[in-house]
Amino acid sequence: MSASFVALGSVEAVRPVFLIVMGAFLALIAWRLARTSGLWTSRFLVAGALLLAFGYSVLMPLYHAGVIRYYFPGVNYQGDSSAVIAWHVVKLVVMNSGWLLFGLGVALHANLFPSPYARRSRAIRTVSPHESVA
Amino acid sequence: MNPLLEVILQNGLLLDAAGAIGIGLFGLAAVRLARQQQSWGGNMMAVGAISLLIARLYLVISPFMVNDDVLHSIGPVGVSLTIGVPPLLLTFGLASIVWGLWGHERWMRATNR
Repeated sequence: MSASFVALGSVEAVRPVFLIVMGAFLALIAWRLARTSGLWTSRFLVAGALLLAFGYSVLMPLYHAGVIRYYFPGVNYQGDSSAVIAWHVVKLVVMNSGWLLFGLGVALHANLFPSPYARRSRAIRTVSPHESVA
Repeated sequence: MNPLLEVILQNGLLLDAAGAIGIGLFGLAAVRLARQQQSWGGNMMAVGAISLLIARLYLVISPFMVNDDVLHSIGPVGVSLTIGVPPLLLTFGLASIVWGLWGHERWMRATNR
């Protein structure tokens, strides 16, 4: 058994591996769900799921592995502070906008917002074109 | 520092709010799916969204609220809870969201067939 496999199967590595699997699976399921739904619903779903998959299966394991260091305000990082800050900003944007887009997509999928088209068509139906105007 | 990065860093709370709104929408949609379409995945997704929301809110407000006095008053068990519970909530929240989404997708495929 090679050393790399032992490192991958250790308790320390369980959470990053779990996050990688979850991110990939989330993108897969969202894509399958998006195939059966409308245009903008599937756009929101797939965009959010891809952002979340990048965040969960690439960024978070990199943070856990120590490749990227966590950003704390007021800490001097001795030279590579710009990389730490840039990755922190990337993480903020990717995770939050990913959840926002994915939540919007699932909300549209669940018809959480009443569609304006239905209301407009109902308003038109109240006045029949064959009604006497006089 | 790059002014764009600075602006994003200073408005990090807004981005966190956007993420919380997204998770809240997700939870509402999950509850609606569970109630209207009797999809068991909806319950799972709602539980996951709630636990993610709790952990995220804690992580957002903890720099403002948790200081040495608070940590001293809640004792060692409380301190270890503040360290251990948010990652657990995040992990199992994500797991139940993905599980619920999978169940909902399978359920939709089974009813549409």
